[in-house]
Amino acid sequence: MSEEVLVQVKDLKMHFPIRAGLFNRTVGAVKAVDGISFDIMKGETLGLVGESGCGKTTAGRAILHLYRPTGGEVSFKGTDLAKESPEGLRRTRRHMQMIFQDPYASLNPQMRVGEIIGRPLRVHGLVKSAPEEKDRVTELMQQVGLNVSYRDRFPHEFSGGQRQRIGIARALATSPDFIVCDEAISALDVSIQAQIINLLEQLRDELGLTYLFIAHDLSMVRYISTRVGVMYLGKMMELASSDALYEEPRHPYTRALLSAIPIPDPPLERQRQRMLLEGDLPSPANPPKGCRFSTRCPMATDLCRAVEPEFREVATRHWAACHFA
Amino acid sequence: MIQAVPPASMEAMETSVSNFAPLEGGLQPEPALLEVRDLTTKFYTVDGVVNALNGISYSVRKGECLAIVGESGSGKTVGVLSILRLIQSPPGKIVGGSISFKGTDLLKLDDNALRDIRGGAISVIFQDPMTSLNPVMRVGAQITENIMAHEALTRRQARDKAIEMLSRVGIPTPAKRVDDYPHQFSGGMRQRVMIAMALSCSPQLIIADEPTTALDVTIQAQIVELVKKLQSELGTAVIWISHDLGVVARLADRVAVMYAGHIVESAPVDELYARPAHPYTIGLLNSLPRLDAKVKTKLQAIGGLPPNLLGELRGCPFAPRCAFATDICRAQNPALLEVTPSHGVACWHDRLTGGRA
Ligand SMILES: Nc1ncnc2c1ncn2[C@@H]1O[C@H](COP(=O)(O)OP(=O)(O)OP(=O)(O)O)[C@@H](O)[C@H]1O
Ligand SMILES: Nc1ncnc2c1ncn2[C@@H]1O[C@H](COP(=O)(O)OP(=O)(O)OP(=O)(O)O)[C@@H](O)[C@H]1O
Ligand code: SF4
Ligand SMILES: [Mg+2]
Ligand SMILES: [Mg+2]
Repeated sequence: MSEEVLVQVKDLKMHFPIRAGLFNRTVGAVKAVDGISFDIMKGETLGLVGESGCGKTTAGRAILHLYRPTGGEVSFKGTDLAKESPEGLRRTRRHMQMIFQDPYASLNPQMRVGEIIGRPLRVHGLVKSAPEEKDRVTELMQQVGLNVSYRDRFPHEFSGGQRQRIGIARALATSPDFIVCDEAISALDVSIQAQIINLLEQLRDELGLTYLFIAHDLSMVRYISTRVGVMYLGKMMELASSDALYEEPRHPYTRALLSAIPIPDPPLERQRQRMLLEGDLPSPANPPKGCRFSTRCPMATDLCRAVEPEFREVATRHWAACHFA
Repeated sequence: MIQAVPPASMEAMETSVSNFAPLEGGLQPEPALLEVRDLTTKFYTVDGVVNALNGISYSVRKGECLAIVGESGSGKTVGVLSILRLIQSPPGKIVGGSISFKGTDLLKLDDNALRDIRGGAISVIFQDPMTSLNPVMRVGAQITENIMAHEALTRRQARDKAIEMLSRVGIPTPAKRVDDYPHQFSGGMRQRVMIAMALSCSPQLIIADEPTTALDVTIQAQIVELVKKLQSELGTAVIWISHDLGVVARLADRVAVMYAGHIVESAPVDELYARPAHPYTIGLLNSLPRLDAKVKTKLQAIGGLPPNLLGELRGCPFAPRCAFATDICRAQNPALLEVTPSHGVACWHDRLTGGRA
């Protein structure tokens, strides 16, 4: 990991209005992302974990400005994306791509694989002729391990893992620097997940890519990430290097999350103590006062229920938002 | 019952398949609660015959938790649905085998007798509780109805029992929640309601098909601990289908690994993780990262894809992806045989004994 900041996220907020009534008036907001700040270093893989609905996807999309954030800012290579003209944003976006969980839903079923992968090349004017496009598509298909002779097939003729490779080839077409992988392996079989993870790592090393890797599989996130951020109800709870986060978690939510992950080792599993969380996730439209985790936290005090803890550096390059971290 | 050294000739090997019994070596030979033999289910579709289940055999003892793991499409769901004849038919058809539950062959029971067993002595929990909960009926009424269908209780008594079951699975203020509709519960709570319903008639066997796959890890942990606790309190046997080898390590007594409609390996849980013998099982375990891994070792992916089950397969179904495959693997499918007591493997070159070919 270099010391060069590729993406800077400052107090990013994404609130979705809740509308109701006859006049469709705004009656509240889902605070899907509610003020998160961090840097993504060039060449690193930053993992993002947290329970369903905590705002991971929304954060990823707001960082790419696929949503206009309702607050805060995102800069890419030092440029504030909010200040870009639509044309400028379009050009910048070439360098920032996204890979989705469900490759099938994100691939046009009526297009042949060659067209799907070649399309971004044309949209961004990166190829001048049909033969040039064909060559580049061939190169991309080889890069992601797809048989080039499948160029004229349709998405439904491929397996889930192969479709994910198509999605990756399409994302790579514009030679991006930064890719948001949103649950990119979650829908795949275990034996296929490893194929895709190895491919992503190989591409990162060969092409100097930077990833924001969103997933709920904490074992896989530890494996692939250099640093990991833990979100809860739209807020970042903890951010540290992979090793520090897994070996010395400082936030009680991180500890609970880690203790919930079973390890494929039966004798060890029998001995492990679980730190079970009570209750369910509160609604992001109405997050608890004070610390958002206080309603489920085994350590919560009156202070926690009254005052929201600051996201602060509790050790070198290790941040946590807990009064007792 | 314990199979010794694999027989040399093919004919002998064929007979040994049906004798194969995954019983713990040396332990009290209590008869199995459920004994599945050569169960074969096919789907007759417009594209041809899908060989979903190709003669699987296993047994589950009282109070035991058998986990079934395997690739998507390997026949895990079809395998357990066949037990209760819940296969969609047509196109599905159970074409062979026997399923003995406490000595009765479920495949020979008439529909009424089978209905008594479903939701009674054997109950099922699905991945999505909404497939089994009626959205327009209060949860208490649904549980009460199930109890009254299987037990001679008054509505009042059945309702009290429903409340007791809800409390048992950790639903707060159960006497109040009993009158809520399914949509008023969160995903994890709904799964608890399903478990309450499944437990309400004191089943001897619970079949759970990926009951936590759609849930968050924190909720999954709650459900897994709950099932573990209830199982030890009530002595219920469980068949737990999962693709999460972590959850299986926590919960299972035995594990059966499925591939392309076959059980390719079956062993007590510690044995399977410590000494996997089938190349597919080994590949599966090597392709998993571990949360507690301090040093990063590169994941070993299994190359290729699982086979298409449309039409007949020749040879070992794993052969096209297997690093150890030889000519015999491509020609003949190896039977599931015990290579060491209570450890069954279907492989010509199993990695524990070096193989039979
Ligand atoms: N377009 C939208 N309009 C309104 N609410 C939204 C929208 N997108 C997301 N939300 C809400 O914002 C919250 C965060 O959603 P998000 O999809 O970012 O979560 P996530 O962490 O990616 O969850 P998952 O793990 O399930 O993918 C949720 O409560 C969700 O319902
Ligand atoms: N109604 C059906 N018609 C045709 N084929 C079917 C039908 N139901 C199941 N199959 C086939 O039977 C095979 C086994 O399916 P099954 O659902 O048991 O897999 P599984 O192991 O439970 O997979 P998963 O992990 O995805 O749930 C698959 O190849 C599937 O396509
Ligand atoms: S029988 Fe042959 S192909 Fe099948 S798993 Fe064993 S070695 Fe591999
Ligand atoms: Mg998401
Ligand atoms: Mg299934």
